[in-house]
Amino acid sequence: MTTADTIKIGEKAKILKILPSELTLNLMEMGFLPGKHISLLQRAPLKDPMAFRLENTVIALRKSEAQLIEVILEN
Amino acid sequence: MPEVLTPEKLSTFTVSLIGNPNVGKTTIFNRLTGLRQKVGNYPGVTVDKRYASLKMGDQNATIIDLPGTYSIYPNSEDEVIVHRVLNGLDKTSKPDFVLAVVDMSSMERGLFLVTQIMDLGLPMAVVLNMSDTAEEQGIKVKAHQLYKALGVPVIQTNARSNKGINGITDLISQQMFEKPVPFLDTDQLLPGDLSAKICERFSLENSYQAYQLIRFHDKEPILSQEDNEWLGREVGEADFDIKSIQLKETQDRYAAIQQVLEMVVEKTDIKKKRLTDKLDKVFLHKIGGYAIFLGILLLIFQAVFAWSAVPMDLIDGFFASLSASVSGLLPEGVLTDLITEGIIPGIGGIVIFIPQIALLFAFLGILEDTGYMSRVVFLMDRIMRPFGLNGKSVVPLISGIACAIPGIMASRNIGNWKDRLITIMVTPLMSCSARLPVYVILIGIAVPATNIGPFNLQALVMLGMYLLGVVAVLVTAWILKLVLQFNERSYLMVEMPLFRLPRWKDVVITMYSKSKTFVFEAGKVILAISIVLWVLATYGPSSAREEAMAAVEVPADGAAEEAMLEYQHNLESAELESSYIGIAGRFIEPAIRPLGYDWKIGIALITSFAAREVFVSTMATLYSVGSEVEDELTIQEKLKSEVNPKTGEAVFNLATAISLMVFYAFAMQCMSTLAVVYRETKGWKWPVIQTIYMTALAYVSAFIAYQLFS
Repeated sequence: MTTADTIKIGEKAKILKILPSELTLNLMEMGFLPGKHISLLQRAPLKDPMAFRLENTVIALRKSEAQLIEVILEN
Repeated sequence: MPEVLTPEKLSTFTVSLIGNPNVGKTTIFNRLTGLRQKVGNYPGVTVDKRYASLKMGDQNATIIDLPGTYSIYPNSEDEVIVHRVLNGLDKTSKPDFVLAVVDMSSMERGLFLVTQIMDLGLPMAVVLNMSDTAEEQGIKVKAHQLYKALGVPVIQTNARSNKGINGITDLISQQMFEKPVPFLDTDQLLPGDLSAKICERFSLENSYQAYQLIRFHDKEPILSQEDNEWLGREVGEADFDIKSIQLKETQDRYAAIQQVLEMVVEKTDIKKKRLTDKLDKVFLHKIGGYAIFLGILLLIFQAVFAWSAVPMDLIDGFFASLSASVSGLLPEGVLTDLITEGIIPGIGGIVIFIPQIALLFAFLGILEDTGYMSRVVFLMDRIMRPFGLNGKSVVPLISGIACAIPGIMASRNIGNWKDRLITIMVTPLMSCSARLPVYVILIGIAVPATNIGPFNLQALVMLGMYLLGVVAVLVTAWILKLVLQFNERSYLMVEMPLFRLPRWKDVVITMYSKSKTFVFEAGKVILAISIVLWVLATYGPSSAREEAMAAVEVPADGAAEEAMLEYQHNLESAELESSYIGIAGRFIEPAIRPLGYDWKIGIALITSFAAREVFVSTMATLYSVGSEVEDELTIQEKLKSEVNPKTGEAVFNLATAISLMVFYAFAMQCMSTLAVVYRETKGWKWPVIQTIYMTALAYVSAFIAYQLFS
């Protein structure tokens, strides 16, 4: 299983599902939905948090939140 | 077909603006309302309610700006307000109409919120904002199709360039809002008889409202305990999993929105790299990013200390001479004394802050408005975490440089309670602008204006005071992180909006309205204290008074003028010492003696428990009470020349001044902050703990400082 925290800068991925946790709904409300494409734009120094491009928005998540997003790499 | 509202128009009505964060809601609010804005509080919480009244023909419209939110299910305090307002739990702010603002380039998320509001059944209209950025990204929206799909009016705007604002004004003045038909079939969410029961008891309109109430009843302070228990019982009996219902609702909603979007959105793939992405390479750079942040902070400090010094000096001088000329104009008497020695210095003590506060709010406004603030959150999150703080804590802490109150209120967008509580507990340790005049005066008295290398010693000491605050914040936060046991997941989810140029008009509006609120709120307290202080300093128990005055040695007849002057001064000093406030100062003197303070400073400590800036006006009052006003000495010069009548040494030497500054840096001397902490933490526990730890920290540190420097 690949999760979003392993995406490298510039890589693209497709969201398969959001793993169950108390943050599942928060992530979905922000627009992290199965079928959406995301890519990694930046990592903050010390590799955390990570800035993901999700369609036309950029959203910063910590590694621990990115681990809740199951993805399949696209390139 | 949409249900058309009654043609009868309301003569007074309320329109709430609602939308995701960063969709330009506040720009639209500013465009609609200009400088008419007022700030109030929602009942029971401290979330600011920004509103303005507009007269449109013979109608009165009140426009309310709600905090940005992604859904009506609250995750943070800000969102609780939105939830409460939309569900009509707060009767005083229930909107007649909702104006939902959607960012055209992220329609899906925007419509998520819009369709939730539709299901609540509120009359509404949709504003599709930021058409310019959407076009740049190759996104086109067929507004008419969207109107047909949703059944509520849709307006396309670009608020930054003022495009479409007239359309919004027309829409509001003609009340063209429409009550939508539900977007999802929400009757399926709850067992039918349960939602019917709830609707009846709380006089709700539909099952979605009932569902909302169930979902959040236990977090809603406005509900009575009886209602709360009743809901808990009913839900328990019906036996269902509300979380899985909500998950299903979310999925269904997005699926339905997807169908709408397929009809209304046209996308052309534009390969062009966005300017924001290029800028982020610089602003979020491993080293460069921090260098820029540090540079911006330095610029803010420079502005607050150097640029505002000129208007502050002018204000200070103005009030000193006002006091003098008023005392010359009015006949001598108690009332004149009250005005010249109590009220004018009291008002002067608050007015002098205006340049600094306005500048700070302007800078914060610009940082927020350009989209830079969320980059700071991104850069700082990992660094703040070991201290039990969060990237989002940076905003409250920076605001804390201006004033702890907006800082603590800005902590509301921190989603989890532990991070937020720690932020609230430490924010008052940041050196707020109320401490600045205390620092300025004391540094001016005790620290020579010599240069060490290229640096001015006074400026270095000032910087040191601010750094001391930051160190105290980090250490205290770290200790709290170890002490507080909460089983809660700390998380960070923050959108980084496009970089944009600041809208100067908006910056000015924000600066003006925030400064106004601050000055009037703080001003009321300070003015009241100044008057009470003057009374306490002017009157005292008569027997003690006569005794003290009689004890002053009267010079022989024909003594030199100098001796007469000294006699006069000693007499006044004795008078003050025997006043009520003098007695209080004397009473605490043994406790503060080890810190290097005399009873006059003791008086200032007592009075400035209410607000630090009172230190200055207390000093002004105390020393004007002791001498004539007409010499127009500013406070600093007066204090500098203050000599201990017993030892003949200056009262404010280096050790005392440093000790006093350290005390003011740490002590919780701000009633307004305490009140805000009380409201934000919903009880007395945390403000009491905060006061105790801060006062202890202040006392111990001031003691150490005095011992080191004396």
